[in-house]
Amino acid sequence: MVRVLRSLTFRLALIYLGLFTFSVAGLLALTYWVSVLEPLWQVQDVVRTEAKALAALYDSAEPARLAERLAAREDTPAERLAFHVLEAPDGTVRTANLPRWPRRSGDPWLRFELEEFETADREEHEVLAYDLLLPDGARLLVGRDTEDLDDREELIFDAVAWGAGATILLGLIGGLLMSLAVARRIEAVSRTARRVMAGDLSGRVSVRATGDDFDRLAETLNAMLARIEALVQSVSRVSDSIAHELRTPLTRLHADLEDLASSLDERAPEQRRPAEQALREATRLQATFDALLRIARIETGRYVASRETIDLAVLLDDAAELYAPAAENKGQKIALNIAPGLTTRGDPNLLFQAVSNLLDNAIKYGPAGSVIDLSGRRDDGGIEVGVRDRGPGVPEQHRAEVVERFYRMPGSEDAVGLGLGLSLVAAVAHLHETRLVLENADPGLRASLRLSADQP
Amino acid sequence: MRAAGNRTPVLILSALGEVDERVRGLKAGGDDYLVKPFALSELLARLEALFRRGTPSGERARLEFADLAMDLMGREVRRGGRRIELTQREFRILEYLMRHAGQVVTRSMLLENVWDYHFDPQTNIIDQHVSRLRQKIDQAFERPLIQTVRGTGYVLREPD
Repeated sequence: MVRVLRSLTFRLALIYLGLFTFSVAGLLALTYWVSVLEPLWQVQDVVRTEAKALAALYDSAEPARLAERLAAREDTPAERLAFHVLEAPDGTVRTANLPRWPRRSGDPWLRFELEEFETADREEHEVLAYDLLLPDGARLLVGRDTEDLDDREELIFDAVAWGAGATILLGLIGGLLMSLAVARRIEAVSRTARRVMAGDLSGRVSVRATGDDFDRLAETLNAMLARIEALVQSVSRVSDSIAHELRTPLTRLHADLEDLASSLDERAPEQRRPAEQALREATRLQATFDALLRIARIETGRYVASRETIDLAVLLDDAAELYAPAAENKGQKIALNIAPGLTTRGDPNLLFQAVSNLLDNAIKYGPAGSVIDLSGRRDDGGIEVGVRDRGPGVPEQHRAEVVERFYRMPGSEDAVGLGLGLSLVAAVAHLHETRLVLENADPGLRASLRLSADQP
Repeated sequence: MRAAGNRTPVLILSALGEVDERVRGLKAGGDDYLVKPFALSELLARLEALFRRGTPSGERARLEFADLAMDLMGREVRRGGRRIELTQREFRILEYLMRHAGQVVTRSMLLENVWDYHFDPQTNIIDQHVSRLRQKIDQAFERPLIQTVRGTGYVLREPD
């Protein structure tokens, strides 16, 4: 979910929402200006003019004259109701047609609301009044009703509030839905990519037949995947034919050398030795060949690994037991540190072989009489399988190369074996969506794999 | 074929190593399964094992070969009457050899049947296990029964 919120689509949707809200706000502001502010100013002009004219009529000796004019004004039918208040210099009310009014303040303009129950006609009124101080200290308030403008103002504010709320809510929901839709299409592409990377080269991105830009992307990607599949298949075919073509001659060579070696048994040992050496080389050649083929098949996904539930504790135990004689021959001890009930999902044969290869290396490179630690433990939601020896280790700069085929550390070129052990472990790790990790154990090397724990 | 009651032993050769294929093949009544490419000697050894398997031996409590006697119930091995102490794994290796007495048994067959894992062991680790077994079974005796068949595997056989 968080991924969707951080997606480009959602951000674009938010930006668009922002721009839209901004424009609508501008529009509403303009409307407010035109339909509320301007008319208000016009009314203000009128009221001010009226007030000044009426004030000029005031004679402190005959206040009744003004009062009459005010009353006449009130009775004159006009668009807006007229209001007035005339206070004597001492504050008493000479005449007024308002139930109440505010005190004098610094601002000559007064705007206040009269409720329904207060007014004579039982209606709400908004009074816009100009507050004048007459020469003798009397106070004159002249005003007009601006209830209609007040209503309009309220309407616009309501529109803003509700509109803004609805816009933002709908915008967010719309943006979210849009992002989800796009995310789904993108996820379809990612899913196919992952499938292909896992080895299923037949994976293709689904095309929705809408002809939109995602469909075009899908078609392009599918074309690319088809090409990759064809290339891999041709490589596989080549390596398979190499394998096929070489296998039979190799087997024949091996058999012939065996015959040769055994036929020389009765004769002098000096003659037998070269034959036996040749036989050993042929055996080694065949073994290298088989191992290379196996690694290649795992890497290109042609070995379809099984996904079974495996008890790693049992597997590690079995591996330790299988290699016990080899360790004993060098006076080494395989120390087990295996937590119970470590279940994972994977290919038991491949994993067993990987662990075996690691143990084989540890025994080979570990000094005689040393201890080899084989551990299996829970670690942060996963299971870590580790093999640690006390040998010379692998310096950091060589750690990436050491998993390459046939790589030998400088100085150990004549070590027994084919130099393919770690390549296989790396291939198996990759197939199980993890990596082989090599660390300096000081002394020695620690090789580990982190597998996902299978929740029962 | 199986449905028709035909009990001819079947070994399936396949170009792919897919486990479900293997399981399907075995479930369908196949007796063994080999993945290409394989060594000819491997094929021959397994075929022979199948042919011999054809004769039902039933659930036997004892296995015997030459002067070797294995009591499966009591987990005891005797040669020439003398009791021999074996580890559990050594016992199973010998049991497998005895059940296939006279037939060549390859390293992968041992790995599959004694350790229950399918792969081709590159190192000679199986040899080391067999060597230890030999030390216990053959060394003190005149006639070694566990023979090495070079390039293929082992066989439990009287020496000529």
